[in-house]
Amino acid sequence: MSEAPSLEVRNLVKHFPIHSGLLQRRTGWVRAVDGVSFAIKRGETLGLVGESGCGKSTVGKTVLKLMEPSSGQILIEGTDVTHLAGGAMWPHRRRIQTVFQDPYSSLNPRLTAGTIVGEPLENFGLAKGSEKEARVAALFERVGLRPDAMNRYTHEFSGGQRQRLGIAKALSVNPDVIVADEPVSALDVSVQAQVLNLMIDLQDEYRLAYLFISHDLAVMRHISHRIAVMYLGRIVELADKRTLFSAPQHPYTEALLAAAPVPDPKRKKAGRVVLKGDVPSPAKPPSGCHFHTRCPYALPVCRQQDPPLIEVAPGHHVACLRRPAGGDPVPLTPTA
Amino acid sequence: MNVLEVRDLATHFFTLDGVVRAVDGVSFRLARGETLGIVGESGCGKSVTALSILRLIPPETGRVVGGSVLLEGQDLVKLPESDMRAIRGHRISMIFQEPMTSLNPVLTIGTQIAENVVRHTGVSWSAALDRAREMLELVKIADPRRRLQEYPHQLSGGMRQRTMIAIALSCNPQVLIADEPTTALDVTIQAQILDLMLELKEKLGTAIIMITHDLGVIAETAQRVVVMYAGRKVEEASVDQLFAQPAHPYTRGLMRAIPRLDAEAEVAGRRPRLQEIPGIVPALNQPIAGCAFAPRCPFATGRCRAERPPLIETAAGHSVACWETARVLEAAA
Repeated sequence: MSEAPSLEVRNLVKHFPIHSGLLQRRTGWVRAVDGVSFAIKRGETLGLVGESGCGKSTVGKTVLKLMEPSSGQILIEGTDVTHLAGGAMWPHRRRIQTVFQDPYSSLNPRLTAGTIVGEPLENFGLAKGSEKEARVAALFERVGLRPDAMNRYTHEFSGGQRQRLGIAKALSVNPDVIVADEPVSALDVSVQAQVLNLMIDLQDEYRLAYLFISHDLAVMRHISHRIAVMYLGRIVELADKRTLFSAPQHPYTEALLAAAPVPDPKRKKAGRVVLKGDVPSPAKPPSGCHFHTRCPYALPVCRQQDPPLIEVAPGHHVACLRRPAGGDPVPLTPTA
Repeated sequence: MNVLEVRDLATHFFTLDGVVRAVDGVSFRLARGETLGIVGESGCGKSVTALSILRLIPPETGRVVGGSVLLEGQDLVKLPESDMRAIRGHRISMIFQEPMTSLNPVLTIGTQIAENVVRHTGVSWSAALDRAREMLELVKIADPRRRLQEYPHQLSGGMRQRTMIAIALSCNPQVLIADEPTTALDVTIQAQILDLMLELKEKLGTAIIMITHDLGVIAETAQRVVVMYAGRKVEEASVDQLFAQPAHPYTRGLMRAIPRLDAEAEVAGRRPRLQEIPGIVPALNQPIAGCAFAPRCPFATGRCRAERPPLIETAAGHSVACWETARVLEAAA
């Protein structure tokens, strides 16, 4: 018997209206998320990587139901929560928690650390009074903070410690899924390593599913099992990380990997392809394949036809007209 | 021949919590046309070092309390402010992390470049605008004539940083200080900007001080590297030496703490643990008697906690501030 994925989204779409002019009429749509599907198993990390404006954070906010999707489905442990609201959503809210990027602005400065971490326990009616205190103290210890720090305020903590608080808070209600949006981007590397190790340990211990959103490919490679690459609202490639890093098939993934600086001066990147131009606006995405304006391998057909995301090899999905199913993953030759 | 030499620079901030020793005796040299990387984590003093060189420390809060900054032999620390103004943007330029906050939102791109040219070279406004167009071409902004008329908000992040580079290089400076120039940019745009900076360096012969927290950026751009920790220089080496044989325990820790994109040792299905550096950086408002890294260092001894280690040359061009270098290198071998 196969268990339902911890989190599944099917054809998720989120469009934001653009209002302009004196009367604030709707003049268009930003297609922030434009048909995204994936599933995350228990104990698995799916990395969502892409550049600013690709829609990765909107995916995170939508699955957390911090905003309503325009269409598509969100399933938590097999239950469709897409249209649940208020009280009906309540029991499912506990199952999906989040860790934010900025530990400075996401924790209330007027509350003690213990109150912050204990709040969800009380909100969900899981524990109160001395039982709550005891559980919070255990959580503090689990994330590597001293329980006597419970009475301190957040400004007394360093960035890394605050991120531990955020993790303890998310963990407090025993969730199945944690959506982590750039959780280590604001941290220095020495502290980033501590937080990543902690997140991996907790995942193995509680079989948590992570939706891990980041722009940092090296962090992604470290923490993810599978990685989805997004470009202008769509997933362009989805594969397990070994395949994605050793044999990327989408030209955008290839360019992203080539662009990331590698901390090794001996690996001079002779002849790497540096993408020209900027990411187009998601309010006016290019026709056909969104990437064709920057793609060194684009054919005329790429301008007209939307490439579907197809499984080119088991578990390896690519949305590129030049990458047919079962085709050889040979390097492409640039078109003029 | 050194174009810039920093000797024993000390910059302190005077706060309600006491004196913060942001830069605590830092020395380095910059040769003509060279790229020197300064790497370290938040609060290590790398940006304050840059601001001190340009004398941009806000006088209400802090000042350079010791040392000298020699630009072709002339000590900038002692210079009157009016002379300093003739140097900034002319002989030494700087670009910052966030191009949107460094550009004036109500002036056109053309005005902002031409302004700098007129101020330092005294040419006519129309000659300066010609120079501005030339600079936009140099930094590869398409359709420069039209862009001259545009405002910063009309440009993308990458184009804004190109504009900053155009302003910074408009008067052919001898030194360009780049403080996290690509940190706010997407990785494909970062690659464009770094390539552009290196190409212009070759073309114009400008020496660059590249300040960053990113060892990847250092590896790709710098020739020599200074590693800073808690306001002090802990190691200096050529980029190849530093990555092949890092000698300071902090540098070694940093290199092992970063997740690698080129992780060849990756075992199928297993996620290797990153090496953590335990603890956090020390508060700089307390005097640090010994080595600033000692509380986090696995090699630390009583001497490390009591006496500040001097910089010692361990190989040609490679110096380290550590009492235990012999043990550290032995452990590494």
